[in-house]
Amino acid sequence: MISHIRVAAATASILALVASVSLQAQDFIDADDLMEIDDLLDDETSNETIADPFEDINRAIFGFNNAVYKNVFQPFTRQYVRIVPKEPRKGLSNFFDNLGYPIRLTGNVLQFKFGRASQETGRFLVNTTAGLAGFMDAAKEFENLNPPKEDIGQALGVWGVKHGFYIVLPFAGPTSLRDFVGRLGGRVVDPIPEPWSQLDESEDRLDLQIVDTVNDLPEIIDLYNSITDSAIDPYIAVRDGYTQLRAGKVKE
Amino acid sequence: MTTNLLRLSITTLAFAFASFASVSAADSDNPKDALESTIHELLDVLHADNGSLSFTDKREQIVSILDESFSFDVIIQRALGRNWAKLDSDQKRQVTLLITDLVLKTYTRELQNGPRPTLSFSEPEALSKSKIEIDSKVKVNGSDVNLTYRLANIKDRGWQVYDVLVENVSMVSNYRKQFDEHFQKKTAQDLIELLRNKLNKVHS
Repeated sequence: MISHIRVAAATASILALVASVSLQAQDFIDADDLMEIDDLLDDETSNETIADPFEDINRAIFGFNNAVYKNVFQPFTRQYVRIVPKEPRKGLSNFFDNLGYPIRLTGNVLQFKFGRASQETGRFLVNTTAGLAGFMDAAKEFENLNPPKEDIGQALGVWGVKHGFYIVLPFAGPTSLRDFVGRLGGRVVDPIPEPWSQLDESEDRLDLQIVDTVNDLPEIIDLYNSITDSAIDPYIAVRDGYTQLRAGKVKE
Repeated sequence: MTTNLLRLSITTLAFAFASFASVSAADSDNPKDALESTIHELLDVLHADNGSLSFTDKREQIVSILDESFSFDVIIQRALGRNWAKLDSDQKRQVTLLITDLVLKTYTRELQNGPRPTLSFSEPEALSKSKIEIDSKVKVNGSDVNLTYRLANIKDRGWQVYDVLVENVSMVSNYRKQFDEHFQKKTAQDLIELLRNKLNKVHS
């Protein structure tokens, strides 16, 4: 009889153990709680905001850009994709990406990310040589030669410089005072600076800049359409998208 | 009596181990595998007919596939945040339907029209005891897009997506800011009208 009591006691102990394991394994949350808990507030990147004292002017430029994208860039892009096959487009994209090396290098050095700076240098060397002047992304095969892309505005953010305020540039779209200053810094090291600064110096550089911009459009335009078509307020959607994106970059 | 007690004990033990095994099976039922399978099923449906069927034709199928891993009611209520309380029950129902359709319609259009993307999913990372994050990479036309899914272990539903981050941009947070801006000057009825107009525009 005693042995049976022992068996029963052992069974009860095992049941208790199983019950406790089950409870630990099932950390459920109620759907209602999930809807009510405002844990978005704990997510710094998602909650990043930006001052927009010139919202009226910015909205007007956003409206102008939107009309240009939809009525000029989009039809043009359809034709461009039809005329220029995918591979040459990809090659051109790689070429311009490779030319952005000095900006990324400066962004890394300003953040004291010397490991990533050397990875960027390795990537540039491999793509310039084995990648035939950058037209092929030969470095993509090497895990250590694909660091996250850094820029000078991002470096300023890491130093603690705040956005300042939101700016929508004609044609170029969203930026902030901080990131605009970063872009100006980038012009010093960029082999193909902003076109408007170089009109007098070299028309070739302007042509290259236009080719770079046009070549990237097919990749951007569909996503841009999805964001604006599905938005309640496309201006706020793009402004917040930009702010969260940059906050994420600075956090990296 | 002795035999009965012994049989009872053995049965109880067998039940206990069966329960333990089922709990272990539930644990090994990786939310990553479930999510990956949902997304692949979605792509199968979108690419099944070379884009000849419209979103309206496939709507029920798309929603029923996504319902396996996505809790749209949670996603939309979180996106509306404090503005949810400003809607009556009929408006809540309408807004949930209209936003779900608008978002699905616009984003599946892009997926349906292009080539089938290749996907890779990382192992889940714990955010808390009942929340995880799964990073994924979508490769389409030679470009990579980073998508992060946030999932909660919801009672009676299991692991469900409650937010999606595109290149670290939280969709729930992005919509929350748009709704906040809308409700500063406009009403719930204005929102319903706006959503209907947008949906008609996307349909055309």
